[in-house]
Amino acid sequence: MKNSAAIRRLLLPGISLYAIFFIIPLSILAVYSFWTQIDFKMHPGFTLEHYQTVFMTSLYRDVFLRTIIVAMLTALIVVPIAYILSYIMQFVFPSKARLLLNIILISMFSGYLVRIYAWRTILGKEGLLNTALIHFRIITEPITFLIFSNWSIAITLVGLLIPLALLPIWSSMSNVSKDHLEVAGDLGSRGFQMHRTILIPMVLPGIATAFAISFILAAGDFVVPTMLGGTNGVMAGNLIADQFKGLAPNWPLGASLAICVLAILIAIQMGFMKLVREVTRL
Amino acid sequence: MSDPLEDLKNSKLNAPVNRRYVLNGILGIGAVAAFGPLLAACGKSESSTEAATGGKIGGELNFIGYSGEDAATVAKDFLTNNGITVKPTFIATADEPLTKFKTGGRGQLDIISDNKDFQRSVLSAGEELYQALDLSRIPNAAGLMGAFKSAEWLTKDGKSYGVPLIWGDEPCVYNPDKWDGVPAKYTDFADKKFKGELVMVDDAVANTWLWAKSMGISDPSRMTQAQLNATIKEMLKTKPNVVTFSASLGDQADVLVRGDASIAIGGWAYQIVLAGKKGVVLKSASPATDGTFYWSDSYGIAVDAPNIDNAYAFINFMMSPAANAAIATELGSGVTISGALDELDAATKGLYDYSMVANAGGVLSTQVVVPPANDEGDIVGMAKWVKAWADFKLG
Repeated sequence: MKNSAAIRRLLLPGISLYAIFFIIPLSILAVYSFWTQIDFKMHPGFTLEHYQTVFMTSLYRDVFLRTIIVAMLTALIVVPIAYILSYIMQFVFPSKARLLLNIILISMFSGYLVRIYAWRTILGKEGLLNTALIHFRIITEPITFLIFSNWSIAITLVGLLIPLALLPIWSSMSNVSKDHLEVAGDLGSRGFQMHRTILIPMVLPGIATAFAISFILAAGDFVVPTMLGGTNGVMAGNLIADQFKGLAPNWPLGASLAICVLAILIAIQMGFMKLVREVTRL
Repeated sequence: MSDPLEDLKNSKLNAPVNRRYVLNGILGIGAVAAFGPLLAACGKSESSTEAATGGKIGGELNFIGYSGEDAATVAKDFLTNNGITVKPTFIATADEPLTKFKTGGRGQLDIISDNKDFQRSVLSAGEELYQALDLSRIPNAAGLMGAFKSAEWLTKDGKSYGVPLIWGDEPCVYNPDKWDGVPAKYTDFADKKFKGELVMVDDAVANTWLWAKSMGISDPSRMTQAQLNATIKEMLKTKPNVVTFSASLGDQADVLVRGDASIAIGGWAYQIVLAGKKGVVLKSASPATDGTFYWSDSYGIAVDAPNIDNAYAFINFMMSPAANAAIATELGSGVTISGALDELDAATKGLYDYSMVANAGGVLSTQVVVPPANDEGDIVGMAKWVKAWADFKLG
């Protein structure tokens, strides 16, 4: 009894913070989604009108689908890259791991927008990549889909999210001793099989966290789509943000969209976790 | 002096009309260097200050409005000399002062700086936000040019609710290496020769208005649903030629400077100056048949402003010719005070045609860009415009 009371006391600060910064705002958002807004004023009540709009508008469904595809593509590129980098840091160059980590993380010290503009400089019609490809005569005309497209959103998000995904995977992998891998090798588990049956299950929590970070941040981002998405790059984050600004804001619709996106993301994250568990059990 | 593109980077998701945000700091130091002696003289002008305040100023001044219009650089000496500390809140969209006022900000706002269409909407809707001004406390406002004296969008029931600070228009800005000019009509941008060459600002009102005008609708701010639908349908013909909807006018300039597009629709003459600093030559022009629209930002005082004496003194200072010229130069805009014209350098003066604001009335008064807040019979309101623009973006 004494122990459980002590545990409750210890958990209290964390739970309080969680309640203040997550549960309460989310509850407010949920309540708003059933209200109406006229002339900048919120009118309490209960209407499912906004959810109806979300589900009945085919353009919204298209945006949700595009968001999921781009975010999934981003996460599926980011996580393996972060995994490989972590592997190299932990098992190939362990003595240089800290240095490599710092080099990768140093990009995060520059501002988010600066990094986005840097990607514009790289991917632009007259950007570094096109200039280099033309210089080496690999292409004769600039590749236009590199910027202001869904590809540019994914490429930029991958670049932005790798450092964030690296941390949880490397953190998990740093607890794995090289001896484990050597023993696995002695027992005949090598190459991809070793990763699938030994290493990935051991760092699964880190991979799951990295996927969650990558997928959720990519799905919720509205700055990258705005700056690099072009005319067909609207994502769910943009839809939501648009409802909270301008001369005709619609907070309840924005709240409904946010709740729906949240539900979709949670479902996908749970599905991914289940899938990874199944695969690593084989 | 800061790097203009660095400022562009920092401009991020500001509203399309928020041209000031981009420029905050770009020319601030230069403007103060140029207008410094005059500003210092204005800042110490006790008679003028006392006329505006009764001599009871000092302490805090709460400002909410576009970044740059708080005049932190231009009014620095005035504020220091009078012991006033400005507490600024910068807005990204025009509606933010009203939202803040209605969500606990009442009694905490002094000066509101916003655009004419928002001010017109607030006053016509009878929304409580601005208090009527006592113009005897802003003696420098006597120097306002004809179009800005008793500006129609700031006047209700014979009372004035604001004083115009700056103004400008939204022309097309283009790369003369690629184009000799712009077509006569906005609808002409649907031509395939413009594919991959256009950049529009993500602005529901400006673009819809320009296209409606191009389609021959005499007052685009008062369209029926059918007219709005037809306008969006027409705009969709141009969409394949547009590379991106930029987050702001600063971002639009950046797209031009990087060469990712060569024509900015609904741009800003000052983008030419910004690009010039990066060695990129741009020109501006409006479609000969359709023209463009004009904007103006004004200072107002919030209902229940806690530091009203400071607010009047500040506004009066900013209406002095030197301060008005300095802020217009810093923000790449037109001046509103007659005497400020003499203070401008040729380049800044040449950005706009001042003959159109010399006399009362004129296009700034007659041209309404923003639709009604709510539907008025067959006339569709703002919400439907925003939805139509969203459909256009997603379509």
